[in-house]
Amino acid sequence: MAIIEVNHVTKEYSLGQLQSLKHTIQRAAAKLRGQPLPERPLFKALNDVDFKVEAGEVLGIIGHNGAGKSTLLKMLAQISVPTRGNVKIHGKVAPLIEVGAGLIGDLTGRENVFLNGAILGMPKAEIKKKFDEIVAFAELEEFIDTPIKRYSSGMSVRLGFAIATSVDADILIVDEVLAVGDLAFQRKCFDRMEDLIKRQNKTVLLVSHNIRQVQRLCTRVILLDHGRINQDGAPQAVCDSFYEQSDAKINANAAHAKARTRTSGDLELMELGFLDQNGQKTDHLSFNQDCMIQFKIRVYQHLSDVTFGFGFHTTDFVYLTTHNSEEQLHINYLPLGEHDVLCKIARLALLPGIYSLRFGVTAGQAAGAIFYGENLKHFQVVGDLPVTVREGFFALDAQWLLTDGKDTYSRDIAVAGNPMS
Amino acid sequence: MIQAAKNIVAYRELLMVLAWKNITLRYKQAYIGIAWAVFKPVTLMLIFTLVKSFVGIDSGHIPYPILTFAALIPWIFFQEATAEGVGSVVSNANLIRKIYFPREIFPLTSVMTKLVELGINFGILAGLMVYYGMMPSIYALWLPLIILYTVLASLSIALIGAAMNVYYRDVATALPILLSLLMYASPVIYPLTLVKEKLLTNQAAGEWSNLLYTLYTLNPIAGVIDAFQRVLLYGQAPDFAAMLPGMVLIAILLPISYIVFKRAESYFADVV
Repeated sequence: MAIIEVNHVTKEYSLGQLQSLKHTIQRAAAKLRGQPLPERPLFKALNDVDFKVEAGEVLGIIGHNGAGKSTLLKMLAQISVPTRGNVKIHGKVAPLIEVGAGLIGDLTGRENVFLNGAILGMPKAEIKKKFDEIVAFAELEEFIDTPIKRYSSGMSVRLGFAIATSVDADILIVDEVLAVGDLAFQRKCFDRMEDLIKRQNKTVLLVSHNIRQVQRLCTRVILLDHGRINQDGAPQAVCDSFYEQSDAKINANAAHAKARTRTSGDLELMELGFLDQNGQKTDHLSFNQDCMIQFKIRVYQHLSDVTFGFGFHTTDFVYLTTHNSEEQLHINYLPLGEHDVLCKIARLALLPGIYSLRFGVTAGQAAGAIFYGENLKHFQVVGDLPVTVREGFFALDAQWLLTDGKDTYSRDIAVAGNPMS
Repeated sequence: MIQAAKNIVAYRELLMVLAWKNITLRYKQAYIGIAWAVFKPVTLMLIFTLVKSFVGIDSGHIPYPILTFAALIPWIFFQEATAEGVGSVVSNANLIRKIYFPREIFPLTSVMTKLVELGINFGILAGLMVYYGMMPSIYALWLPLIILYTVLASLSIALIGAAMNVYYRDVATALPILLSLLMYASPVIYPLTLVKEKLLTNQAAGEWSNLLYTLYTLNPIAGVIDAFQRVLLYGQAPDFAAMLPGMVLIAILLPISYIVFKRAESYFADVV
């Protein structure tokens, strides 16, 4: 049986200012006299959203800002009610919506554990039992009797997260909470979430802008767009299409200066383009095919000892790889004017998906780059995923062998199978 | 209403913790701490006693300071519990937007908090009684019921007021003014016996006298204050005739107030 049922939920908000008492009375008076009332425009934060969640599922909810994610979570956490439709929940819900909501600065850590635990619906006996564990997880043993207004922001968020994840509930509603604390603590939070999900078999609803996290934790993902369910399915497929949509949005929004560049003024990138294996201009590249990247630059100052470099990164700025010209081009002197620089790539290893490009130039003795830009051009790599690759960014040139301890045999094959040798 | 009682039982721990939080927070960094709870009634008692020495209010055989103090503590409890209850939903907006539990917890918590302060003021009253050599009678056993009635009276206004205050902040601003006016229409400075004597015995307002008296006792706090003084100081049973109109009013108002609150509750998070 479904543990959560969301039946055709629509949520409307009135646009504009909340009206004053005076205005309300005037409206009521107008209504009594039978005069027509000007209707206030309605905004549909959720529009006929309909889905069910089975026990043990880990559902990710993604979407652009304003897509209705938080509104949906509010319905599920019973904080707000739908305008139409209904939400049925069979089980205890622990809302981790903004951890640390309800922490009070003047109270000590200890007092806050009891207060926040009670707010989240934990009986006092249970809080007592879990107290040491909570404090240990938050790494606050030393400071637990200090008012939390003296805590660093990381410390109070850690405490909030530790309390919230101690709640014994069937359904966890998680809104962007994994991005707390320093890297070590984020790791710890992530492990705790995985533990809750995988070993304790809780039903989890996760809302995040961190698509990689969603992809990794969830068993199913819903993509919301303008209050509607745009897609509902396997994490990989939905996340990929979200990336594509994000990309389309960025590209469509031409006024939005998507590229981040900085230059010393000595050099400027005029144009950037791709050529396919036949030397034809193209907008997208093909997986496992040769290609070329063409950079057209204009030089305003005589430059010496010039090195070019470029790299691929994801649309959320995970740097994937770089390559520079240091060993291949020895440019001692680059005169004024326009130059074409070409970089040939053999058998592009990037898996199909959306990526972007960065480019930098160094010259002379200058410590930094005289030109650097990232997110310069979004492009799509097309092609079929080889069956050997399930996910990631790169295809590896690798071979599998069943050797059963026969060393010599494997060495022969390894040498034979290595194209570099 | 049954659901309301169930909620209170289910969330009693949260209620306690939140009330404890309110009290701790209010006095944590104050030097004299919770002693502030007695500051207001004691000051008012002194002022009223001073005024009384000019204008002359007949307090019978009970010393005036203790008579007015016994009136002040239920009055201040009612006034502050109601005012805080009305503001409680808006002042907890951060919780309302993030976490669900029955929203009546907030006005209830305000009342709980004030109950603790009421308890402290009983200590002062006991001290005064010792000073004046007065012994509480068996009728003091009525007190818990009288206090419960005061709580219900306070909630009748606090629930509907808190819900309205979410939409119109005017409510929380206007209420303290109305309440301080109500104090003069309650037997705080003067005893109820004076009103009764004027209207019922002397028929001071002619044929309107009985009606006026009923109107006066429609104010539930009039009956409460009188009952407080009777059971604690006079050693008498409460005057139920004086309490009846107020009780009828509360019996009508409280369910309405609760229903309005529950109906508005679902929209608090959207509006507040």
